[in-house]
Amino acid sequence: MAITRRVFLRNSALAVVGTTALPGFLARAAYGAAEPGSTNKRLVVLFQRGAADGLNIVVPHHEPAYYALRPTINIPRNKVLDLDGFFGLHPSLASFQPLWNQRQLAIVHAAGSPDPTRSHFDAQDYMESGTPGVKATDDGWLNRAAHTLPPSDEKSAFRAISMGPALPRILTGAEPAVAINNIRDFGVAGGNPKAAPIANTFEAMYDQSVDTVLHGTGKETFDAVKMLKSADPAKYTPARGADYPRGRFGDSLKQLAQLIKANLGVQIAFADIGGWDHHVNEGSTQGQIANVLQDFSQSISAFWIDLGELAEDTVVVTMSEFGRTARENGNRGTDHGHANVMFVLGGPVKGGKVYGRWPGLDPSQLYEGRDLALTTDFRCVLGEAVNRHLGNRDLTAVFPGFDNRANNFLGILG
Amino acid sequence: MSRPRRLVVSATLLLAAVAGTALLSLASKKSKYLPGQMDDQKRAMHALNRLTFGPRPGDVQRMMAMGVDKWIDLQLHPDRIDDKALDARLAQFRTLRMNTHELVEDFPPPQVIKAVMEGKEPLPSDPVKRAIYQAQIERLEQKQERKQEIAVANASAPNPAAANGADAAPAGAAPPPENQNRMSDEQLAQRREDRLYASLKTEELLNLPPDQRLKEVLKLSPEDQRALAASLKGPKADQFLEGMSPKDRETVIALNNPEQVINEELMQAKLLRTIYSDRQFEEVMTDFWFNHFNVFLNKGPDRYFVTSYERDVIRPHALGKFEDLLVATAKSPAMLFYLDNWLSVGPNSQVALGVPRYPVRPHRRYPPVAAQHGKGKGKRASSGLNENYGRELMELHTLGVNGGYSQHDVTEVARVFTGWTIEDPRKGGAFKYDDRMHDPGEKMVLGHRIKYSGEKEGMQVLHLLAHNPATAHFVCNKIAMRFVSDTPPPALVDRMAQTFLKKDGDIREVLKTMFKSPEFWSDQAYRAKVKTPLEFVVSSVRATNADVTDAMPLVRQLANMGMPLYGMQPPTGYSMLAGSWVNSSALLGRMNFSLALMSGRMKGVQVDAGQLVPAAAANAAAQPSDSQQTLAQLEATLLAGDISAQTHDAIVRRLDDPQVTQRKLDDPARPPNVPMIAGLILGSPEFQRR
Repeated sequence: MAITRRVFLRNSALAVVGTTALPGFLARAAYGAAEPGSTNKRLVVLFQRGAADGLNIVVPHHEPAYYALRPTINIPRNKVLDLDGFFGLHPSLASFQPLWNQRQLAIVHAAGSPDPTRSHFDAQDYMESGTPGVKATDDGWLNRAAHTLPPSDEKSAFRAISMGPALPRILTGAEPAVAINNIRDFGVAGGNPKAAPIANTFEAMYDQSVDTVLHGTGKETFDAVKMLKSADPAKYTPARGADYPRGRFGDSLKQLAQLIKANLGVQIAFADIGGWDHHVNEGSTQGQIANVLQDFSQSISAFWIDLGELAEDTVVVTMSEFGRTARENGNRGTDHGHANVMFVLGGPVKGGKVYGRWPGLDPSQLYEGRDLALTTDFRCVLGEAVNRHLGNRDLTAVFPGFDNRANNFLGILG
Repeated sequence: MSRPRRLVVSATLLLAAVAGTALLSLASKKSKYLPGQMDDQKRAMHALNRLTFGPRPGDVQRMMAMGVDKWIDLQLHPDRIDDKALDARLAQFRTLRMNTHELVEDFPPPQVIKAVMEGKEPLPSDPVKRAIYQAQIERLEQKQERKQEIAVANASAPNPAAANGADAAPAGAAPPPENQNRMSDEQLAQRREDRLYASLKTEELLNLPPDQRLKEVLKLSPEDQRALAASLKGPKADQFLEGMSPKDRETVIALNNPEQVINEELMQAKLLRTIYSDRQFEEVMTDFWFNHFNVFLNKGPDRYFVTSYERDVIRPHALGKFEDLLVATAKSPAMLFYLDNWLSVGPNSQVALGVPRYPVRPHRRYPPVAAQHGKGKGKRASSGLNENYGRELMELHTLGVNGGYSQHDVTEVARVFTGWTIEDPRKGGAFKYDDRMHDPGEKMVLGHRIKYSGEKEGMQVLHLLAHNPATAHFVCNKIAMRFVSDTPPPALVDRMAQTFLKKDGDIREVLKTMFKSPEFWSDQAYRAKVKTPLEFVVSSVRATNADVTDAMPLVRQLANMGMPLYGMQPPTGYSMLAGSWVNSSALLGRMNFSLALMSGRMKGVQVDAGQLVPAAAANAAAQPSDSQQTLAQLEATLLAGDISAQTHDAIVRRLDDPQVTQRKLDDPARPPNVPMIAGLILGSPEFQRR
């Protein structure tokens, strides 16, 4: 689908061709009815856990220092998928190329958290709480973003969801959020109608429990179960062309697409993918990083195709706790670093461009003489998404202690 | 529901409530403890909740008879407790008693298979072992063939675009890289045929008595053997393996995947231990320390190292001196491999500088060449310092992330431990100190000067760390988090840390300080902790006195609940905090598990619901009030009566529901549905806490 809403409206001043030929949202726009997605702007956050190697993901192939610093694990110039003459994609990210060419995919390089920690645990904690350096924050920025959204008429139980067996830090907080491991199992006794009285008994127990921790979660859970049942996601086939790779990440995104398409009011979603901590034998065009990047990009592009027209209202942002050392180590791998790369994918994204200031890989330009230096705070990228896309006006609540003014935005979302 | 009946129910309810309260007040004696402290029965329950994986029916009474303090003292000395019943259950898992080298030999990893294929090692003469090797050789050969086919296909495909990075124009669409996991149609067809043949053969073999099946399987070609073993899944596998001797069973599984035998036995043993060991506290501490010194089972050779790690490193030191435990983990192949220290090489070490191992005749025109990155045949092909262990040793094992170390300390500690490596890791070797990998020179760690002394440097640093006050505090805080509450009282942690430092890191002494503290026994600590998935599953099985004949389904349940055994990839270990485990998916998982367990749908686990309520079974003429009685009895058995009014009422309201009571309209003589009521209790908010 190459025609986007913006292109259409720009070029044809709402001329209606024939509603059957138009994708749904265009038809609705043409008839002047409010689009179902107008209060349902969606933000999807994907976390690469383990410190993904940004320099081998979006490769600065025009930077000679890159090749000097990584004699054995670099991506050769003739293997890189060139983006703009300076940067190129790792070949395993081939499925991102159409998204780049369609200008739906933007890249921010040398982005991340300013905190100097190189501990996975702490850095992930800071990125999820949205307050680098502060350990006392007990909720996550994504939860705060959901909590400070302009109120909508129906607050769906599925407004904020996380794919996986545990609710991550990023979504803990005052706003109810639901963790879904597997849609099929999301219910008491598999949704068997005979089990209804038992489900109801459990619901009553948790509803009235004075145990605040379990009561809160219990209530959210049963609200979500009921909503899911009414949407009847029993038999789901992804859209044509959406070929999800096998594996946990692909499966998470497939289920996420399913939930979004089931019209349950999903506005904020989270999923994560591990397997990035390549201290030893990282590989280059083949090997560990190539394999995980293939899973990563194919899952995301399948998700994008699967969403169909709902992609128009969706923005996906990727992040990782820190990057990796510019120089390869003695084990053909890389150690913990600093700045990293972020992808921003979406209908309203001004894609086809690498944002942020590139600091260079000369020894004098490296952070502490070893890592890619930081030029864009991750909160700037996320803040723009939360503000411009979700319409959240209260960024100081979402990212306390960070000066997140609109004129500091990179302009990824116009 | 007709009016009179409703009146009867309400009256009964009232009576039951009154009776219940009367019973409770009778049971609690005047507390000889300070206000805010627990009474005797609560103490017993609390001790069971904290020092075991959950009370079994009758445990509270037994402990009150013995005396709580005496019981705790006994549990602190597990060698005084006989565990023969557990040993009997574990007898079938031979791998538990094997050392790593034996495991590698009997259940060969890919590296050993490759060596045999290349003629570097001989095939074993024992026919059973030989069969396993041949099946794996065949599998590896197939894999290599497939790789070659893909490489050939790639070579003839059009070249990806962007050959010259200097081009300004963005590249056109490049063909996607060949997915190495996708097979050609031909291969898929072959696969289908193999599977069909395998299932036919399985059916044939099922007609034979179990002790003859392996013999017949071994008569097949290696290819067919492996296909047959691979096709055995789920109930088919259970059927096929039932009645076979442990060794035969292991062999059949090993024909498909040797590592699977080791891993499954390890995981099953862990569950059986937590459920059935009478040395409960030792199991709790073993679990605690394994989590603290976390190792991920699925990182390559760690699959072979973890069995010995838990048995020889963690458990023996679980109640001993912290330094002994620390040193044992530092030298364990499991940890050395997991945190990459085995290949860390000092920048100025002999290996890094290319000093030859054996004296070479000097040649005037042959200057020593600094070692380049070796040919990537794995093993010792590195000349770099690896900081992974150095960092985690301080951050996670001893000082804690705020313990006052710097990046410089991390690098220096890494230098200290260069040379701490493994002899032939992929063949299950043991710890080895290799001075050639060790970085010479002095090191400065946390302000201490470490003189060059080879292996002794590492011992010195471990000693330093084990006696550092930050370590005492960090470790004691974790212990208190596990045993007292998610936010342990700082005063208690301080006192525990003092004991730690005063008694040379004696873990038992630290625990005694904790068990004797008023904080441990304060009312606020009662049922303050939320159970992790492991604690929930095990406590359910224990509370219902269930019999586990096959622990693998439970193992899989735990994986679904987000806590796969030995499956924590990052070194931080599993969280002990409520927030990590209380979420929608988890709660639903627990409710469903409770129902499945009690209704007999949990494979491998048999629950005799009747024996949970002995009186009811004898009562043939069921009255409406019997459901109430059953409920009260189950509440007492499963929760020691610690049920909230809300939960109780929610269940009571359902007791008249025909689904719950199994009663049909004209059929008043059915007994109450014990499994259902018990399932509701196990899934209740109260049972999620300990």
